[in-house]
Formats: sequence, structure tokens, C-alpha cells
Amino acid sequence: MNILLEFFVDGLFAAIAGIGFGAISNPPRRAFLYIAILAAGGHMLRHLLMNYFAMDIAFSSLFAGMLIGLLSMPLAYRAATPSTVIYIPALLPMIPGKFAYNTLFSIMMFLRTSHDPQLADLYLTKFMSNGLITFSVIFFLTIGSTLPVFILPKQAYQMTRKNKVL
Amino acid sequence: MTTNENINEVVDFLCEYASRLLSCGVHTSRVVRNTQRIAHSQNMWVTLEIFRSHITLTASIRGTNHYVTRLVEVPKAPISFSRNSALSSLSWIAYDNDPSLDELKEKYQQILEKPKLSPYLVLLLVALANMSFCKLFGGNPMAMAIVFLGTALGFFLKQKMGQWKSNTFSTFILSAFVASVFCATVANYFLNPEQTVIAMSTSVLYLIPGVPLVNGVIDIIEGHIMIGASRLIDAMLLIFSIAVGLGFTLSIFHDSLL
Repeated sequence: MNILLEFFVDGLFAAIAGIGFGAISNPPRRAFLYIAILAAGGHMLRHLLMNYFAMDIAFSSLFAGMLIGLLSMPLAYRAATPSTVIYIPALLPMIPGKFAYNTLFSIMMFLRTSHDPQLADLYLTKFMSNGLITFSVIFFLTIGSTLPVFILPKQAYQMTRKNKVL
Repeated sequence: MTTNENINEVVDFLCEYASRLLSCGVHTSRVVRNTQRIAHSQNMWVTLEIFRSHITLTASIRGTNHYVTRLVEVPKAPISFSRNSALSSLSWIAYDNDPSLDELKEKYQQILEKPKLSPYLVLLLVALANMSFCKLFGGNPMAMAIVFLGTALGFFLKQKMGQWKSNTFSTFILSAFVASVFCATVANYFLNPEQTVIAMSTSVLYLIPGVPLVNGVIDIIEGHIMIGASRLIDAMLLIFSIAVGLGFTLSIFHDSLL
């Protein structure tokens, strides 16, 4: 029961985050539901892989991105929008904010402690590891989500064909 | 149907359509395909060369060798998924039903006149989104509330600076600074160091330029290397601007964050 609740909370907050980040790009109202489903599904899968299968954050993000990309095809067809309209906002809740923050923090600390080689080395290492994780996660998320579109291009490019609402 | 007499009018519409579509945050191959569908409905052939701020378009009536070439500037406009969807649908309507140019123009105008989401609703949704993000990073209710308010403040400033037509990079720097400095100030009183870091790191994430990042990758994979690289450079500069804004806050609060 606790596990179910844990995943529900994870999915719920990812869905709210997806909807909010989507709203910045002015999507059609009918797309919000599908953005929420994709954001929740992707984030829950990553949560599962990281916490129950001991997978690292970058590869978990790759699989979560692929799930979002795959699911975006039928959902975009239902929403009659290009698939990017619903999957880009759904990816954003998986941006590795803490690692990005630590990367920046390490740069600043490195500059401040450059007179002390030991501390400077420590912050340089932190900068490299956090920066690499941030870059890998964003890269894998993007590649993972775009892969299905390239595997099924014909289907991916006809989502708006039957749109009666314009 | 296009004739030698009205070819310029059709080409003008193709230019307008392609540049408008690119400006609302669409990846390049979609702009090419959609414009070709519109051209097909008018019995025309078209090819496009697309860069970040300009499009070169060459068109001719099918079966003739009378070519018209135009260089058109891409208007600066905010990303709009709604317009992206509607303009894509318009290209299919044109392709499947072969409407006249006047009918197409009328539908196109209707799409441009569609109302946007209320800015206050967007503000609320973005603040809620960042608050949820904070929860996903392990933030407690107090950290979530602080992030909600900080985001609302930062995003409000971003909306205002957008209305004032301020430079995009200055907007990102200031918006990131305001959101993070608010979170850092309030977090100093109410949160422990671990929660402060969570609140700070979440406070600026609403600014992450997801659309140019993903479109840049799609463009590069599809062979539109120049515009793909331009989009990624754009995204990197925006991320750098966020870092500068957050960096100002870190340099002010550095001692209390250690």
C-alpha cells in the first residue's frame, strides 16, 4: 500500500509539474490531460528504475524518455496535436535540477577556493561529476523521447490530420 | 489554382505560413513538410532553406519552369503549441481538400486570432509546477510554499519583461535572480541547509528552455544541422543566463549555504 502511495504521489506531482511547464508554451487546452499522463508515466518509470532496480539516473531517464516518446504517439493522435506538443512538457519534470545547481555551486566554490589546491580539487571534481550527470540526463531524455518519432515517422507526422477542432 | 497572375500572392502566403510556423517553436522538418502540403494544394512545388532568423523559399507552378524565390524574416514570437497544432492541421486540410487560397487565408487568420491562455492562469500553473518539482526533489511543505512564491515572483517579472520587449537574456538573468534570491532569503529563516538547497535548486527550473533543446536535437538528427546547432546554442545561452542569475544569489548567500 505504501509503495502504491509512493508512486501515486510521484506521478501526481510530476503531472502537475508537466501541466505547469506546458502552460508556458500555450498548448491547446485538450493537450493538458495527455501532458499530465505522459509526465506522470515517465516520472514513475524513472522512480521505479532508480529505486527498485538500482539503475543510474541517466539510463533511467533514457528509458523514461523512450516511454514518453512511445506513449506520445497514440496520445497525440487522440489530442490531434503534434507529438512534440505533449511530450516536451512531459520531459521537463525530469530535469536534474539538484545536479545542475551543484554544478553551478561547485564552479563558484572552485573560484573562491582556488588559492587552496586541496579544496579547489574537491570542487573541480564535484563540478565535473555533477556537470556530467546533468548533461547525460538531459541528453538521454531528449534522445529517448525522440527515438520513437524516428522509428515510426509516417505515424508521427499525421497526428493533426483528423483534427476537426483546428 | 495558381496561375502566372497570382503566383506572387500564393508565394507570399507560403512565406507568411512558413515563417509563422517556425516562430512558434516547431522543428524544421515539420515546417518544410507543412509548407509543401499547402503548396501542393495550390498546385505548386516548393523547397525551403531554413535558418534561425530567415527562410529562403523557392516555388514554382507544377510542370512549369517559372520559379519565384523569396527571402523572408522569421518574426519574433513566443512559443505557442496551440498555434503549432492548428497550423499543422491547416496544412492537412489544405492537402486533403484543396481549398482556394482565399479559404486558406481566412482559416489562417482565424488561427492567428485565437485567444491565448490567461497570463494569470499560466502564472498560477507555473508556480504550482515548480512547487511540485520541489516535492519531487524531496522538499518539505515549507520549502514547497517558498518555491511557489519565489516562482510566482520570478515568472511575473518574466511576463512583464516580455511585455516590455526586454532582451531575452536579461529577462532570464533577472527572473532567475529574483526567484532564487527570494527563496534564499526566506529559506534562511525557515529551512534547514538541506531543504534550503532543494528550494534554491528548484526555484529557477521554470526557466529551462525545453523546446529549443528538444527541437535542436530533432533538427540535428534529421540533418538540419545549422538551425539545430543554432537552437542548441540559443538554449545553452539561456541556461547560462539562468546560471548567472542564480550565481548572483549564490554569491550573496554563499556563506549561509555552506
